[in-house]
Amino acid sequence: MADSIYGLMARFDSASEIFHAAKKVRDAGFKNWDCITPFPIHGLDGAMGVRRSHVPKFSLVGGLAGFTTGMSMIWFTGAFDYPLIVGGKPYFSPLFAFPIAYELTILFTAFATIAGMFILNWLPQHYHPVLKSDQITRGLDDTFYVVIEARDPKFDLIRAKALLTQSGAKEISELEA
Amino acid sequence: MSTRAATISPSAVSASAPVSSLSGAATKALTLGVIGLVATAAGLAVSSGKAVAFSYLTGIVFWIGIALGALFLVMIHHVFDAGWSTLLRRQFENWLACLPWLALLFVPLIASAFFAPGMIWKWTNPSYDLAQVGGHGTVAQDVLWVKKSGLLSTTSLVIASIVGFAGWSLLANRFRAHSFAQDTDGNISHTHASRFWTAVGLPFTALSMTLCIILWVKALDYHWYSTMYGVWFFAGCVRGALSVGMIITVWLWNRGDYKGILNNNHMHSHGMLMFAFTVFWAYITFSQYFLIYMANIPEETFWYSLREINNNGHFNTWGYVGFFLLFGHFFAPFLTLIHYPVKLSKIWMPRIAAFIAFVFLVDVTYNVMPSLKKITGDAYPFTSINLLWIATSVVGVGGVCVWAYLNSFSKTKLIPIRDPRIGESLTHHE
Repeated sequence: MADSIYGLMARFDSASEIFHAAKKVRDAGFKNWDCITPFPIHGLDGAMGVRRSHVPKFSLVGGLAGFTTGMSMIWFTGAFDYPLIVGGKPYFSPLFAFPIAYELTILFTAFATIAGMFILNWLPQHYHPVLKSDQITRGLDDTFYVVIEARDPKFDLIRAKALLTQSGAKEISELEA
Repeated sequence: MSTRAATISPSAVSASAPVSSLSGAATKALTLGVIGLVATAAGLAVSSGKAVAFSYLTGIVFWIGIALGALFLVMIHHVFDAGWSTLLRRQFENWLACLPWLALLFVPLIASAFFAPGMIWKWTNPSYDLAQVGGHGTVAQDVLWVKKSGLLSTTSLVIASIVGFAGWSLLANRFRAHSFAQDTDGNISHTHASRFWTAVGLPFTALSMTLCIILWVKALDYHWYSTMYGVWFFAGCVRGALSVGMIITVWLWNRGDYKGILNNNHMHSHGMLMFAFTVFWAYITFSQYFLIYMANIPEETFWYSLREINNNGHFNTWGYVGFFLLFGHFFAPFLTLIHYPVKLSKIWMPRIAAFIAFVFLVDVTYNVMPSLKKITGDAYPFTSINLLWIATSVVGVGGVCVWAYLNSFSKTKLIPIRDPRIGESLTHHE
């Protein structure tokens, strides 16, 4: 039966309720699950056991690429491709290449950060199984939902339902796959 | 902002610091300070008065910078009506107790302009013979001084120093008095009064600090032009103060005072400020160097040439100091502070903070000491006995600062318990 549904969706009525429920679901060892809240809740990521994002790694790569691009661009144009003396300065010095390298570091870091974020969070998603629930719009307005996916290795319909009920869920519905 | 001042009851937080062990520590700090000052004075028997005076100027400007940075941080807290930094603000307020003492300790330097004119600042004696430092003629015959003589005079030096120290001490006194009084009466008017003093104090301190640092340090080589100098010092000041603040924070954490008060987000925010000012310092310092490098005007480039090569073209010791500043004051803090776990670490942060404060001292040294020139016009090398007088000055003035801080610390609450934003600060991002 667990194969035929996407997962379970449990309704909570307040931020503190979902906060405590999230801790219980986390402690039960679930990995493929999520919280749907109308607004960001401080500390919910910790209660869900979400680890720190991998986006900074993309930023670092972007930054290093930008710095290298800036330095090598100035070296290529000024000292390699068309050597030209300007203002009595050497053909190449990291000093005057620095502002360009610095700007490109920031630019490439920004691009990499934004790209990294979209790659990691898979947005924009035009379809998601929870959209089949006719209740989901309330999760963007005044209620809070915990969604546990059936593909989670720990998922067992009866036990998951019991856990959610025990965590104080007001209503539990099955999401079709 | 709430219209009520007290949002948590004083009993909710045990905020009074244990006094017993501190009076001993304060006395030790003062003793160490006096020993340092006496040792510096004893240096007059070994080195020239000029060398000792330059070293003492280095030491005291370092601590003045940290005190001014603390003053700026308190004012920045008030001007933004900040919430999270409320609990950290109290330790900066305690630190500000040293400002009147710094004024007192600065008196000998000002006095030297009268009993030994030209010793530190050549322009305090217009008949100073520039041949002593590799120039020619006297200061009065130097067109670059004549054009700048409106500012560079003993009168300006005295007025700027008095106005500066008086204003900073007054501001420090006001912020401390209002904040401490709020602990007892919980009156919101203290917050409003602090905001008023901030509105007055920020432009005043920005201008007076710029003027003082131009007269005290930049004008040691009065030929030089740099439009970045005041901002350079501001960046150094705030970095120094944030470092001292971080060391105090972790000290209080290890003592157990901050248990249940300080959370990871305070460490993170404090660390982010240290990181931001690392980048800011690098931006300002690089811009100053870069503009001078590109324009290539002798009246500007000589300042860096003095700190890199001797007249015979040989690379000198100050060149290494310059590279140390580049890597030590920018790359090392930048690459460590950029990591999130490092900013939360109570092992890493005080060490990084101490390192930044140390390199700020090297930065001040780099700005002051090369102006002490040989008869050839070359700078006296970095590695000399003067390092000892710098060390004794730093210990001397620092001992007095720490003593003033500990005295104030033992008399006040650990955090501003009835500040309207203290509740917000205690639950920073929680």
